[in-house]
Amino acid sequence: MNWLPVIALLLGFFIFYFVPLALPSDYAPYLSLATLSGLDSILGGIRAGIEGKFHVDVFVSGFIFNTLLAALLAYLGDQIGVDLFLAAVVTLGGRMFLNLSLIRRYYLTQWNLSRQRDAERT
Amino acid sequence: MSLNVFLSSIRNNPWVAPVTVMALVLGALLAVSLKTQQSIRSTSLPSNRFSGLAAAYRDQQEQLKMANEEISKLRERTTQYENEMASASEKTKLLNEALQEAKFLAGLTEVEGPGVEVVLQDSKKRPPANSPIDIENYIIHDSDLQRVVNELHAAGAEAVAINGQRIIANTAIRCVGPTVQVNGIALSSPYVISAIGDPDTLVSALNLPQGVLTDIQAIDPNMVKVVKKDKIRIPAYTGSLVFRYAKPVGTTASNAGKEEEKSAR
Repeated sequence: MNWLPVIALLLGFFIFYFVPLALPSDYAPYLSLATLSGLDSILGGIRAGIEGKFHVDVFVSGFIFNTLLAALLAYLGDQIGVDLFLAAVVTLGGRMFLNLSLIRRYYLTQWNLSRQRDAERT
Repeated sequence: MSLNVFLSSIRNNPWVAPVTVMALVLGALLAVSLKTQQSIRSTSLPSNRFSGLAAAYRDQQEQLKMANEEISKLRERTTQYENEMASASEKTKLLNEALQEAKFLAGLTEVEGPGVEVVLQDSKKRPPANSPIDIENYIIHDSDLQRVVNELHAAGAEAVAINGQRIIANTAIRCVGPTVQVNGIALSSPYVISAIGDPDTLVSALNLPQGVLTDIQAIDPNMVKVVKKDKIRIPAYTGSLVFRYAKPVGTTASNAGKEEEKSAR
């Protein structure tokens, strides 16, 4: 199992948690949505990776564009008085659950296989 | 050894390196987002607490009203006890007379007599479009109330109250947001100023040319109403009366002062 992304996530979190940098509260909803979109992209990348369909260009551009688009969508929604950020939350949330379940299944299968192999060896 | 595990995982899986880099970025995003939300939570009031706070505020106001009623009841009872004690001897009788006189002059007793009632209220009219007159002129301010009270005192008013709040020696009349506070109690329009004194003198003082009411009446005559009354009741002062800094000077005054403070409490 690959722990590198998890370690990097924690590293980035703690570095920036102790850096005195905070956005004005007006931008807080957009930032939250961008974060959610980034999380979705990371999970999607992991899923693509374990399925062997990973492309670096798709992943990186997807991360950047989805993050910006989510924030932009929320901003646009605020401007025209429609809760557009709900659309992003529903879409991203649904996809995150789907990707997480696929990742979970993959590692569970691997774990079961390795246990079987161990049992056969002994 | 552990580094080798990481290196091999990067070599075997081409997706691990980019995902790791982006996970670092995501971690940063998460941290900033969390901090921003925390600062919002610590600086602004969550909107879901508004209704609860409003209910608590109403509750406190109700309690304050009840406490004030109790204060006036207890002060009445104190007066009764003082009067009963007065019957003990000639000395106590004289002392009590002086005490009751002082309380009456200080505004701690309900009083009754002829006088006037001045009703000041915010105008229902609005300034016409493009009018140079500010909308501020269409509402009653603390300064209007102050000037009317001042004029009434100058014309010999002996007891004055605004919406039932007795004006005493250290009463403040000041503007707090959309209300006017008198004795620390928030009042709102219409303001009823009752004053006991010679009704004719009081009314003519209020209606002096270029007097206190002239400016208000020029904006909207409906903002002011002055009524002469044969009998007005003005309630006693019910607020706090604890003097922490001022101390009476001289021995006789100090005794009288102590007595007064006790009875006030």
